Amino acid sequence: MVRSLIHLPDEILNSVLCYSSPRSCAALEQTNTRFRPVTNEPLLWREYCQSHYKFWDNRHEIRQKLSRPVQSTDWKALFVSRYLVDCSVTRILGCILDSQTGRIEKFRSVVDLGYDAKDTLLRHGCVNSGDDVLARSPRAKALAIASWLEVNGLTGIDPGREYHTLDHNFLGMALQTTGHNSLPLVSAAIFCFVARGIGLNAQPCGFPFHVHVIVTPQPGLDMEGNTVAEDRKGEPLYLDPFRGARETPVSALRSQLAFLGMSTQDQITTLGESDTSAVVLRCGKNILNSIRLESQHPEALNTSMDVVSAKYAAIWSVMLLSSDSRPTDLRHHLPRLMELFVADFPSDLFLIEKYIVPLFQGLYEHEHILERLHVMKTVDEIPKRVRRRSEGNTSIRYAVGQVFRHRRYNYTAVITGWDSECGAGEPWMMRMGIDRLEAGRHQSFYHVLVEDRSVRYVAEENVELILLNFTELPGSLTAIAGKHFKRWDEKNLMFVSNMKDEYPND
Amino acid sequence: MSAITLTSSDGIEMSVDRTTAERSVLIKNMLDDLGDSGDAVPLPNVNEAVLKKVIEWCEHHKNDAPSASDDDDNRRKTTDIDEWDQKFMQVDQEMLFEIILAANYLDIKALLDVGCKTVANMIKGKSPEEIRKTFNIQNDFTPEEEDQIRRENEWAEDR
Repeated sequence: MVRSLIHLPDEILNSVLCYSSPRSCAALEQTNTRFRPVTNEPLLWREYCQSHYKFWDNRHEIRQKLSRPVQSTDWKALFVSRYLVDCSVTRILGCILDSQTGRIEKFRSVVDLGYDAKDTLLRHGCVNSGDDVLARSPRAKALAIASWLEVNGLTGIDPGREYHTLDHNFLGMALQTTGHNSLPLVSAAIFCFVARGIGLNAQPCGFPFHVHVIVTPQPGLDMEGNTVAEDRKGEPLYLDPFRGARETPVSALRSQLAFLGMSTQDQITTLGESDTSAVVLRCGKNILNSIRLESQHPEALNTSMDVVSAKYAAIWSVMLLSSDSRPTDLRHHLPRLMELFVADFPSDLFLIEKYIVPLFQGLYEHEHILERLHVMKTVDEIPKRVRRRSEGNTSIRYAVGQVFRHRRYNYTAVITGWDSECGAGEPWMMRMGIDRLEAGRHQSFYHVLVEDRSVRYVAEENVELILLNFTELPGSLTAIAGKHFKRWDEKNLMFVSNMKDEYPND
Repeated sequence: MSAITLTSSDGIEMSVDRTTAERSVLIKNMLDDLGDSGDAVPLPNVNEAVLKKVIEWCEHHKNDAPSASDDDDNRRKTTDIDEWDQKFMQVDQEMLFEIILAANYLDIKALLDVGCKTVANMIKGKSPEEIRKTFNIQNDFTPEEEDQIRRENEWAEDR
């Protein structure tokens, strides 16, 4: 009754071993004493010698050995010695490729092995054309890369995800998150990087609505790798890595442009390679577009990103890179930039002075910006009016750093300053109906930072302190608290003020 | 097309198309010797279950060109197996070994080769311990012997 491999007759085990590698044969030998007669069969090892190595150094006298009776040679020992030579040649070759030093000595040690090294050298020197991507035509390479990126999910957006999600604009997010979702522009950038790594000339093409990639053949060649006449240029290949491994026919792109009413000359420019600044500009516009669309559907807001910083950075790049375009574009972005700058990035004042101000040279905004910067600098220089809890400030109930909920509007905020009575101007008090409050204008008022990042001014009667642990605080609040506070005080459940110059007793 | 009858070791008679059966050199020679007597061909080494599998294989391969003797240009033998044969060989180990033994006895070289390749592929890339596990092989070496045999085969280890 046959139950296992060990019960098969020698002749069958011998055929199995003929189909196995010598290393498998060595492994089988170590499993059970049953296999020793077959795994040491001289005919088998003579077969391994002949099937694995074609070239033998003369010292082996291999022909004579083959013509003698099989038992007169220790074929297994001979194979093992050749195998070890094979391994050491492979190792030396690796060392030669790894380091530029000591190559002469390494070459010499290969040469010393004589003909025994030849099989190994031939094996490493021959390129298996069937599988070797690098030996393919530029077109096949480009499509292979696009297909690889697609199969590995490194380009495009997973079905069911909102196309305009802010995250899809960022290369870092596309590369580091597990979904690897990206807009066409970012997919194209990923493709270009990989393609250039294997020597293709791949550039982004700023096609309207959908960035493509242009792969241009080397001068004198076409995309199939064939030579072309000297006065002609090989036609480039258009790809859309966002959608996968398909070539986009240039005729299809042209007809879309014609449909948009573009002149032939403009079509040629549009179908050319885009330079880096054009791509960055477009990326900035995409980011602003995503933010705009997401703010229209706040329920769909599905991002882990710092939207304010993304917006600020995008406006900067759009303004800097479209500087030669019409002043109306610049004017359009200026108020949004200034708003973010004043509220969240005041320390960028010198950057605004150096890069933004010159853009408005000769426009009426120029003086206006300079004036504003001047005021900010001056205010920054003035020591804060010191507010001690004495001299009429003794009745102020709450302190800088305390977290509260607004009784009426129900938002969570942190106190960043106070006045003993309403310090806002008369028009504001009128508009806000301050005198209709129970305690009217003659009660303490607080400057507060709200969880939606806004800054507000709140009457004491609307403040309802809440005691939260740090982990229970709104993330948006802890993210910006560093502007005013040193740290969180776990014992008193409030922020520790960093404004001692202004509020020494808080 | 004439049919012949085969009798398995457990006494079951099976009617098979003659060309199919003649994939077996043993059967072909027996038929040549027996002439057209119509007698059943006894196969005392093959039981019904195994014989059915072997006939299934012969049926699928009855129109194959006679196998060219191994092409000597490339001495290293390929262990590639065509898709149908791979599926055919997806049986438990006992059946696999029975098919191999039957192919050997019935002298069906192509089937024997497929069987040996299948076993070779099961050994491929495995360590001795993994091979033992795969085929349920007992380690019958003494510790000294095991140490000795391991050193003899050190050359084949990953380095």
